[in-house]
Amino acid sequence: MENAYHYDKEKVEALLWDVIQQQSTDNGLAWLQQRTANWKTTAAVQQFNLTFTAIPRFLSKNEITVSPETATALRHLIDGYTIHGYTLDRLARVWWLLQLPADDRKTYTQTIENLFDAAEMNELVALYGALPLLAWPEAWRLRTAEGIRSNIGIVLQAIMTDNPYPARYLEEPAWNQLVMKAFFTEKPIHQISGLDKRANQPLAATLTDYAHERWAAGRPVHPQLWRLVAPFINDNNWPDIQRIWQSENSIEKEAAALACAMSPYEPAHTLLHQDKALQQEIKDGTLTWDALAPRC
Amino acid sequence: MTEKDLQPLSYSPAYLDKIKGMRFFDPHVHMTSRTTDDYQAMADAGIVAIIEPSFWLGQPRTGVDTFRDYFSSLIGWERFRSSQFGIKHYCTIGLNSKEANNERLAEAVMEMLPLFIYKEGVVGIGEIGFDDQTAAEEKYYRAQLELAKEAGLPVQIHTPHRDKKKGTQRSMDIAIEHGLDPHMVIVDHNNEETVKEVLDRGFWAAFTIYPFTKMGNERMVAVVKQYGSERIMVNSAADWGISDPLAVPKTAALMHESGIDTNDIHLVTYRNAITAFAQSGQINEADFDTVRDIDQSLKFNGSTVLRGGQQPRVNKNSTIIR
Ligand SMILES: [Zn+2]
Repeated sequence: MENAYHYDKEKVEALLWDVIQQQSTDNGLAWLQQRTANWKTTAAVQQFNLTFTAIPRFLSKNEITVSPETATALRHLIDGYTIHGYTLDRLARVWWLLQLPADDRKTYTQTIENLFDAAEMNELVALYGALPLLAWPEAWRLRTAEGIRSNIGIVLQAIMTDNPYPARYLEEPAWNQLVMKAFFTEKPIHQISGLDKRANQPLAATLTDYAHERWAAGRPVHPQLWRLVAPFINDNNWPDIQRIWQSENSIEKEAAALACAMSPYEPAHTLLHQDKALQQEIKDGTLTWDALAPRC
Repeated sequence: MTEKDLQPLSYSPAYLDKIKGMRFFDPHVHMTSRTTDDYQAMADAGIVAIIEPSFWLGQPRTGVDTFRDYFSSLIGWERFRSSQFGIKHYCTIGLNSKEANNERLAEAVMEMLPLFIYKEGVVGIGEIGFDDQTAAEEKYYRAQLELAKEAGLPVQIHTPHRDKKKGTQRSMDIAIEHGLDPHMVIVDHNNEETVKEVLDRGFWAAFTIYPFTKMGNERMVAVVKQYGSERIMVNSAADWGISDPLAVPKTAALMHESGIDTNDIHLVTYRNAITAFAQSGQINEADFDTVRDIDQSLKFNGSTVLRGGQQPRVNKNSTIIR
């Protein structure tokens, strides 16, 4: 039989439970344990759904703290996964999803899809954020692509940032939509998991067109955009790189320098040589796309 | 035509001056039918929070999925849209009286309701009750009262336009029969004919300021002068009809002009609605400020700090569109 989970589910579940246990009140924890026992004996889907919905009434919405050890362990178990910045109710919802038996793919996916269909905003955030943990990962591609069409900011952010699922499972067109929409809706681009790994030529071309539109409208272009163009610098888009290199805005010039450093295109290297200071900063690792991020 | 003629109809600095610094809660408004201009004007007039009751969209729905999508939009997109204008959005969930008459559909909706009534920000079952006062309407009204009782949620009752007095009495009789505490029941769309009995029996009496068909706000002023401010609340019930989403602040301004005490104005346009619906455990006044803050950050900082897909507000008074 195919494996439902593509990671060590027991270990991840235990780590999440530790955090929940440490940071819940006695009452909240007792409620969750009682709901778990009830679910294990009745296996009534409506009970499963009600618990998922009711979690914020019993567990706080305070932001959790995650020890560096737990963070590392989680990242190790699922590449790029983090619960940093989660609220306790969101984390408990993720943990609760792991209580759903996954042996029957059809029942499992239908139950989760029903949760998506009736979800309010915070539930959607929990569900989309849980994508890397859900069983049968291939089953969520369409749902994820649908989620990218959302107009609700926090929902988009849950899919786009600190979420390793899209980079791992989305087809290229859906992935490119995600990145494009992240620029349009001004999400923190550098927090998109797998951003550099999934850079591609069609995306670079679309983004350069987008930059031209912005310029035509007299609007600024997000400096991180050039990060995705960098590996595909060619004769066509080279004038764009030169344009931002000459920008009076120092962040744009730094973005041009970083793009040049990433590019195999010969004129890019020649250009970078013209500014020894920037070149050195890149070599030292003090100037990186992530270091640039808080300033753009 | 001058630039001033192009401004939204709601633009009225004169009455805004009278209610400067006051906060309002509109406990009955169908924002799904309204534009973003309305949200903007509401925020500018001091409305900090609203309740959107589930209701009829103007034409009957033909399937349960469209109900699901409607309920989802009340707790999802509409709530988000509202937050973008600094207004905290709550809703009540229910099968409305008109559509209770399609029994096949009504059954399916009843089955779905438990999925929605415990959602965050759902402050009651509503709006439910009578329209034509048919047997089917009564059946689903009763079923939803039971659901509200079981869930410990307040009930928001829509009273009929036709044969209102009898419909209002019947709604209250049935609620009592099902063991609901009148303090958990908000009776909507009252008028001079119904208010006394509603208050005497211990229910909340809500008034809808809706031009032509319901109350005008001069009448509302008279009602408050006669009955005081205890358990009375004002709403706009603004929807797809000719209605005014600024009815609550405008009525407050008129009350102020008519010499009604500030504390009474505060109770009927803000506090009472919160007291009634907070019995759901879903209203936290601190959230009003949180939503407001998000709005202000976008007004005062550059566009790069807009979070969550927010769009900056545009200056409606300029003829240049950027
Ligand atoms: Zn209504």
